Amino acid sequence: MSNKEEILKNIRLHTQETYEMPLITLDAIHYPDKVEQFIQVSKSVGGNAVVLREGEDLNELIRSLYPDAGKSASNVPGIHAAINPDDVRTSQELNGIDLGIVQGVFGVAENGGVWVVQNVKERSLYFISEYLVILIDKDQIVDNMHEAYKKAAFNDYGFGCFISGPSKTADIEQALVVGAHGPKGLTVILR
Amino acid sequence: MKKETHIHAAERFLNNKKNAVWHDETLWQTRAKRDRQAALIPEWEQLRELASKIKMHTITHLDHYLEQFAAAAEKNGATVHWAKDAAEHNAIVLQILQQHQATQLVKSKSMLTEECHLNPFLIEKGVDVVESDLGERILQLMDIPPSHIVMPAIHIQREAVGKLFEEKLNTEKGNADPTYLTRAMRKSLRQKFLASTVAMTGANFGIAETGDVVVCTNEGNADMGTSIAKVHIVSMGIEKVIPSHDALSVFVRLLARSATGQPSTSYTSHYQKPQKEGELHIILVDNGRSSILADKDHIQTLKCIRCGACMNTCPVYRRSGGYSYSYFIPGPIGINLGMLKAPKNYYTNLSACTLCFSCNSVCPVQVDLGNQIYKWRQGLDSIGKANRTKKVMSDGMRMMFKQSGIYHAALKAAPLINLMPRALIYCKADKWGIGRELPQFAKQSFNSWWKKEVLKK
Repeated sequence: MSNKEEILKNIRLHTQETYEMPLITLDAIHYPDKVEQFIQVSKSVGGNAVVLREGEDLNELIRSLYPDAGKSASNVPGIHAAINPDDVRTSQELNGIDLGIVQGVFGVAENGGVWVVQNVKERSLYFISEYLVILIDKDQIVDNMHEAYKKAAFNDYGFGCFISGPSKTADIEQALVVGAHGPKGLTVILR
Repeated sequence: MKKETHIHAAERFLNNKKNAVWHDETLWQTRAKRDRQAALIPEWEQLRELASKIKMHTITHLDHYLEQFAAAAEKNGATVHWAKDAAEHNAIVLQILQQHQATQLVKSKSMLTEECHLNPFLIEKGVDVVESDLGERILQLMDIPPSHIVMPAIHIQREAVGKLFEEKLNTEKGNADPTYLTRAMRKSLRQKFLASTVAMTGANFGIAETGDVVVCTNEGNADMGTSIAKVHIVSMGIEKVIPSHDALSVFVRLLARSATGQPSTSYTSHYQKPQKEGELHIILVDNGRSSILADKDHIQTLKCIRCGACMNTCPVYRRSGGYSYSYFIPGPIGINLGMLKAPKNYYTNLSACTLCFSCNSVCPVQVDLGNQIYKWRQGLDSIGKANRTKKVMSDGMRMMFKQSGIYHAALKAAPLINLMPRALIYCKADKWGIGRELPQFAKQSFNSWWKKEVLKK
């Protein structure tokens, strides 16, 4: 008997009373102003979210947010960046990128998360960049995670992530430090 | 195996008063943050109820969901391994490393690999195992185990970390600034990440319908590891499978809020397919879990999502620290898991509970932690581990309460205790006298007062 069969046999042998799957219907939280809530939560988790105003230039906004960023990387059409991450051979080559600018799919108002599916050759870009900018459409914000998971889908890369704020840790005496292994700062631009 | 009882280990922890107070207050702050987050969600209690029900359903249909999960994961291109116990799990990991001639393994936090003693096993085989969670890495360099499942190094003070990094990472002498130290480790581990060809993570959830594995971290270490290395090994307990993303939405709303009082972890990562030209290995580990299904008193431990909220709220854990428990998972959930693993080895942890049931009230999946501890205590005699003094006392009390003559005589005699010398009442044999004051007995019992004052009038 294979391991798999033995484990499944043991499970069947020991399972006694069974329970029904509940209906997941609940009146989950809604916000009167999803964009405002998203911006507030983003700030509370150590990140930032800004709305691109009408007539404002996206590249200039990014430059004003990160004026000191040296090497930038992006494959988003129309974004000025030093490197196209799709041109690198290995994920290691992205080490040293100051600013990654990536496209997100949608945001979640209740926790400031942005659903990002891999749409660059090496997904290390999302984590290895010193700072990260995620672009989403401002009408692409859902209220809560129930709506989020109804919407979240994968593409052929088979990797997706809700990113909520920058990388952080409090492992030394519970003192919050932003920028543990991943980005030291994160801005979501709503356009 | 630690032979020391919880009581003695706790005493040692409390000797460092400053540290003990800090530990208590810091964990209570985390509990308070959890409360604030919960209060922001009007449907919070409904979520807990749903989460509990989904877990009960899943663990009582585990064969179905595991098969569905494995089939979906394999269809996505992952390789699914099944391990009956820790030894099989460790052998599978080693085999994958050998297939890739990997001499280094970069890991993100996993309590399951701790349970399987994977690190010492691999290190003995010559593998450079690198823990990448900051807290875990600190502990690895100190060569000590975690004292909390979510905040593993909560018992370590910044000065100790500073000193450790001076020695291991060449940091400035006397600099114990958390940001400075974290950045030093970031720099050091970045090199390890860049050099790794195999990365390992645990799993918070496995989704049966879609076959993806979900890992939640704040540091981004799981993603840093698995986005650079082309081979990803996931170590996943069989009880981590849940039906769907719809079900997942309930759990992710509860997990971080309960664990650290955050609305979400920074990263909620879904690994569905291997990287291009890479491999994704998922090891499904039983290691005693399937047997717990038959234990109706303790089956609910399988609902646990390892958030650590029961530790943060526990008045005993906060004041005694993770190391006072002899099982590697401390706190209310650890007391129960230890008893399920080996009752005769871990039964002394049962005393680390006041039966206040605060753990039950905060558990995001409504595990009946306090009830279970109570039940274990009731069963101590059956495993030959009941406290003999308590046994004699309860036998005596049973006799007294059963025979009204003896009971009334004792009641009448009780006020005499007021006259006994203090040295006799608080003698060494009386453990209940430590830190407690016996109240004065009334001159007459309620019973005789009632007869005299109420019935006679």
